[in-house]
Amino acid sequence: MEEILNIKNLSVNIHAPGGTVHAVRDVSFELYPGEVLAIVGESGCGKSMLCKAIMKLLPKSAKVEGGQIFANGVDITHYSQKDMEKLRGKLFSYVFQDPMTALNPTIPIGKQIGEAVLVHEPKLPKAQVYERVIELMELVGIQRPRERYHLYPYNFSGGMRQRSVMAIALASNPRILLADEPTTALDVTIQAQILDLLKKIQVQLGTATILVSHDLGVVASAADRVAIMYAGKIVEIGTAEEVYYDPRHPYTWGLMQSLPALNKGNAELKTIPGMPPTLVEPPVGDAFACRNQYALEIDYHQQPPMFRISDTHYAATWLLDPRAPKITPPIGGKRNA
Amino acid sequence: MMKQNLLLYWGKKALVFLVSVMVLSVAVFYISRLAPGDPLMSYYGERTEKMSVEEKEAAREKLGLNDPIHVQYVRWLQNALKGDFGISYKYKQDVTEVIGSRIGNTLILGGIGFVLTFLGALGLGILCAWHEDKWPDQLLCKGGTLLSCIPEFWLSLVMILVFSVTLQWLPSSGAYDVGHKHDILNRAEHLILPLTVVVLEHLWYYAYMIRNKLLEETRADYVLLGKAKGLSKKKILLGHCLRNSLPSYISLMAISVPHVLGGTYIVEKVFSYPGIGTLSFESAQYHDYNLLMVLCMLTGIVVILGNLIGGIINERIDPRIKAAEVTETSEVTWD
Repeated sequence: MEEILNIKNLSVNIHAPGGTVHAVRDVSFELYPGEVLAIVGESGCGKSMLCKAIMKLLPKSAKVEGGQIFANGVDITHYSQKDMEKLRGKLFSYVFQDPMTALNPTIPIGKQIGEAVLVHEPKLPKAQVYERVIELMELVGIQRPRERYHLYPYNFSGGMRQRSVMAIALASNPRILLADEPTTALDVTIQAQILDLLKKIQVQLGTATILVSHDLGVVASAADRVAIMYAGKIVEIGTAEEVYYDPRHPYTWGLMQSLPALNKGNAELKTIPGMPPTLVEPPVGDAFACRNQYALEIDYHQQPPMFRISDTHYAATWLLDPRAPKITPPIGGKRNA
Repeated sequence: MMKQNLLLYWGKKALVFLVSVMVLSVAVFYISRLAPGDPLMSYYGERTEKMSVEEKEAAREKLGLNDPIHVQYVRWLQNALKGDFGISYKYKQDVTEVIGSRIGNTLILGGIGFVLTFLGALGLGILCAWHEDKWPDQLLCKGGTLLSCIPEFWLSLVMILVFSVTLQWLPSSGAYDVGHKHDILNRAEHLILPLTVVVLEHLWYYAYMIRNKLLEETRADYVLLGKAKGLSKKKILLGHCLRNSLPSYISLMAISVPHVLGGTYIVEKVFSYPGIGTLSFESAQYHDYNLLMVLCMLTGIVVILGNLIGGIINERIDPRIKAAEVTETSEVTWD
């Protein structure tokens, strides 16, 4: 299948007064139509920066300094903001992390959704815009939309606001949806509802989705493929099945072990020791080495390449090198050993 | 229910207005009378110095200045409610007549000046925010700061020197030439210089305010969502950010009515423009109580009204302000 989005060796640097932060380092992946790709990693590993870089929504201090972004086979790496306006909403849309601040507080919800409808169809008559907004509000599960059309964001709860943000994102039938931790700011019951909604919409409209999360558990049921990010790099990528049942990177092992559900019976929940490195001066070798109990000598000197495990499954760890000592992974490895 | 709420809403506003005006009148009345100085000077002029103690006492008695201040206030209030604001000690004329003949001139100068400042600052502020940190923004911010540091009287004098004395394009004083009271062109000619000074002096400060407020808004999350929707810079800046900046700008402008008006007072003096600016100054200097009282009340009412109107406009723009005021009767919050 032809990929709809192709990221090649993308690097994003943030120029802060304290030095340059290498937020995204040499990231490559593809996104295929209709699939859900989850990007999982700790806070500060560059997930949001990666998504914002794709839509060119980076803050002024951050710049794409290397790599290419192909959308529908077209290189959009050097598109201007003006060019991007034509793609945003239509080709790809963004669902933000914090629905409490994402909406304009002084404009009624319905009008804000209507604006998104009008962006790519400026000549649509008012009545049709209204009907489309009602349709969208129904799609995202806002009940009694005609009543709520005129309400302001402050009348809405967090979950309802996130639904509104999703309605805005879906207004022009985008082919790609970038959901940047869409449930992090919500409480647990609402989280499940929003995830279900995302899945439902994805099935109904066939929108390719990049779902960013810091929680492997959250994306487990929704994702077709999973990419694990650490310190600005993708360290493991594969189908959900491969990553959940046959994880290969020690960092993925750590993440899995720290999931409460997988840890039944153990008295204490396992954690990954230490902190992610600062990305002002990223470590020379594998960035995870100093937190990795399986680290090899070479991990401290040289970055591991992406080792191919299957056509869809890749991981960046020297443990996959034929010369590496064979170790028994603490979890997984249940299939095709 | 709706009608009742509306009545309550306007009733509240009216009450706030009345109480503010009452408090203001008491304050001005007491402070003016407690200030050192001799009000007889304004009534009798030079003659006061030759008056004997008994004569002075009689004069005070006649003007009612010997009663305790609260008695004087009640008397003033009773008369004022009947529409009688007393006579000006200096002009020996009804206060309303003294002011009436001049207030129009000040309202024209101050009103046009205020509107021009308001709109001009808005335009410049948007221009600066649009070109943030590029040369038009830099130029306007730095040039504006420089210009607003120039004192009004000095700028007025330079303008007179250049445009009236050297170039002889524009008149240097008055509101109109003798016999041209109703000639609009003649009046406009006289207005240009004072108006320019009033606007130039205040424009930058407000332009800078709106620029900063706008730029603050452009950092908000909803701007990112607007961008992600595919909205253009123009739509985001004018349709979203400006809308959200306006409430604070309008409140600022509402309370700065006297600031701009006060500016016209100085300009009036330099350009010998017959408005109430000069009058206010004199009435305070000569303890012309009745005149001072009405002038202060007028200015105060303008400020209070400005605030009320600003508040009402803001509620229209940002419904949260109104919601915060009537939480007890507010609509249901959904789920």
